[in-house]
Amino acid sequence: MPQLMSLGCVGLVTAVLFSFDNAIAVSLVPIAYLIPVIVAATRWGIGPATLASIASVGAADFFFLAPLYSFRIDDPQEAIDLLLFLVVALASSSLASRLRRETDMLRQREKEIQSLYEFSRLLAACFTVSDLISAIQKYLSRTLGQQVAFFAARADDRFEPPESGSMPQVVQERIISMTAKIGVSSCAIVDEATQNVWLLGAIFSETAVHGLVAVNIGGGSREAMETKTDRIEAVLEEVSLTLQRLDIEKAMEDARLHLQAQLLRDAFHGTLSHELCTPLAAIRGSASVLASMPVIREDGRIRALVEAISDEAAELDGFIQNLLNASRVTAGGVNPHLKWTDPRDIVNAAISRRAKRLAAHKVRIEFADDLPLVNVDSGLVEEACGQLLENAAKYSPSGSTISVRACVEQGRAILSISDQGVGITPDEQQQLGRRSFRSQRHQATIPGSGLGFWIASTFVKANGGTIDISSRGQGQGTTASITLPGSPMNPSDLTALTDE
Amino acid sequence: MNKPSNIVLLIEDEPKIRRFLRAGFEINGFAVLEAENAADGLKAATFNSPDLIILDLALPDLHGAEVLERLRSWSNVPIIILSVVSSEDEKVRLLQAGADDYVVKPFGMAELLARSEAALRRYYKTATENPIVLAGPLSIDLVARTVSLNMNQIRLTRKEYRLLHILATHIGLVVTHDQLLKEIWSGNQRDNIQYLRILVRKLRQKIETDPNYPRLLVTESGVGYRLQTRLENCSAD
Repeated sequence: MPQLMSLGCVGLVTAVLFSFDNAIAVSLVPIAYLIPVIVAATRWGIGPATLASIASVGAADFFFLAPLYSFRIDDPQEAIDLLLFLVVALASSSLASRLRRETDMLRQREKEIQSLYEFSRLLAACFTVSDLISAIQKYLSRTLGQQVAFFAARADDRFEPPESGSMPQVVQERIISMTAKIGVSSCAIVDEATQNVWLLGAIFSETAVHGLVAVNIGGGSREAMETKTDRIEAVLEEVSLTLQRLDIEKAMEDARLHLQAQLLRDAFHGTLSHELCTPLAAIRGSASVLASMPVIREDGRIRALVEAISDEAAELDGFIQNLLNASRVTAGGVNPHLKWTDPRDIVNAAISRRAKRLAAHKVRIEFADDLPLVNVDSGLVEEACGQLLENAAKYSPSGSTISVRACVEQGRAILSISDQGVGITPDEQQQLGRRSFRSQRHQATIPGSGLGFWIASTFVKANGGTIDISSRGQGQGTTASITLPGSPMNPSDLTALTDE
Repeated sequence: MNKPSNIVLLIEDEPKIRRFLRAGFEINGFAVLEAENAADGLKAATFNSPDLIILDLALPDLHGAEVLERLRSWSNVPIIILSVVSSEDEKVRLLQAGADDYVVKPFGMAELLARSEAALRRYYKTATENPIVLAGPLSIDLVARTVSLNMNQIRLTRKEYRLLHILATHIGLVVTHDQLLKEIWSGNQRDNIQYLRILVRKLRQKIETDPNYPRLLVTESGVGYRLQTRLENCSAD
């Protein structure tokens, strides 16, 4: 078509020249025929321009140079003129067409830059990974005019195919066989049926692979494909920078949420310890004042009531302390202040603190003579011991014996609490460490929150110890033991230093 | 006591706590002054010269520890701290800052009265020094440096006596580990609490009926030791 158009131009110039007088026409020939050549070169490139040059020479010779209407040339001067014209025409057509090519390239470049700029503006407005993915899809399919498909990474490190969009079986199969791990690199696949090349590029940030983009870059010359590949890789690089930014933002957001949670927890602590403990302190204190008044001490019935108020307040206090302990553990706030302590003191304190709960049981205590000191936070271990004692009292019949033993085994101190109660089944034992676990057997009959053992084991672990539960089975009683690392210094060595 | 009735100043912002404290102290023969914030409390401590101050830690205008520090800058009046937090570290800090003792909320009046009386006794003893301290069946003669249990003299090593002496001069009150370590040992042995634990174990073997369940020399978990004035169950209420 461009060839015909360029020939048409030549014809048009010939027709115009033909309307002039021959002498004038001959003088205009070299200039006038340059017009179609230049037009063809700038419009349609070097091929049509060359064609126009040759056609111009032919037409000039045929229509205007003597002898007219023949391709023969008699005058050597005219032959040189025509030859010269041909050279000039060819040279200027090549120049003009190159100019055109460069203009075209500049325009194309400008368009690309424009769209890349738009893309980065799109990226700047992305706040989630899915925003980002839709931006990539929009950009690639619009600017490259190509098929683009996005495969999101799943939790199991596989790629999820998109819902819509057609793509060759080969490509789909290849992508599904890939794993979404850091280090996935881009690659190209040739679709045999259509000879199209599909480029696969991973989208990843520092921490994770988010997905895979598959772009149909078509066929064509090697050079063209390389250009496209470069562009796609530039886009992916831009994308991964944005992903990093999103990662940072996400980390900041997480930190902010964490801080808020902590503040809430602190507020909860404050509220519990102030709003609940203060009225409780008033109840307990008032009851104790009443109990000390002579009028009340003399009347057995009133005294019993006052004592009941005291006892219930103490029980309530126990529950609140449990909740406080549990929220302390959840907050990761158990940081023990270790101090060398006599295990006897811990056990005695736990027993006397729980004296009321243990009142219905016989408590037998045995201490080995050579008990080592233990380096623990005595408050935490005492609380753990107390929880175990409370459980022993709760899950064994009143009147039965709870034995508490402290002994030494391979340098470690072992505090064990045994009851003659309901025992523990192997199945229950497995679930014991869980927060809020309560066995089906007791849920209806024995009150509790399921926090006690969990608190005890967390506190013991925080002190570098272990806690073990053993039972010969249902109805056979339970033994809970706390093992704590003992002092490397022998009590008798220390005695030497204190003996003065 | 050399006064008709001891004046106790309650610095506590919770009216419900003040109410029962007032009742409890009045029944036991104290005259009671109340202050609901630190500023009023400091003023009352200056102008009314109380014999005893009960100081709550959570005050609206100033932390109790700060009030304690200001009071201690010019006065030796016995101060008992009311605290809700059962943090051992904070108790130790307050005792080191000059508090005579503490009770943790919720507490019974009997416990607070026992602490108050012990603090008052120690405060006034400088004037009417009695060299013999009685703790249940135990009597300690601070001048003759002799100790007897149920009227039978017992022999103590020098360090054991030193320990008992310090506790006896603070009878009924808690004494921190640090204070005991500093007064009994010297050099770098001062930092090793293991010596103290073992020394206490040995002293208990000599003065307690059953050293495994001490009822005279009792442990204040994470804080220190206390020599009880009477033989009684230590879960005081």
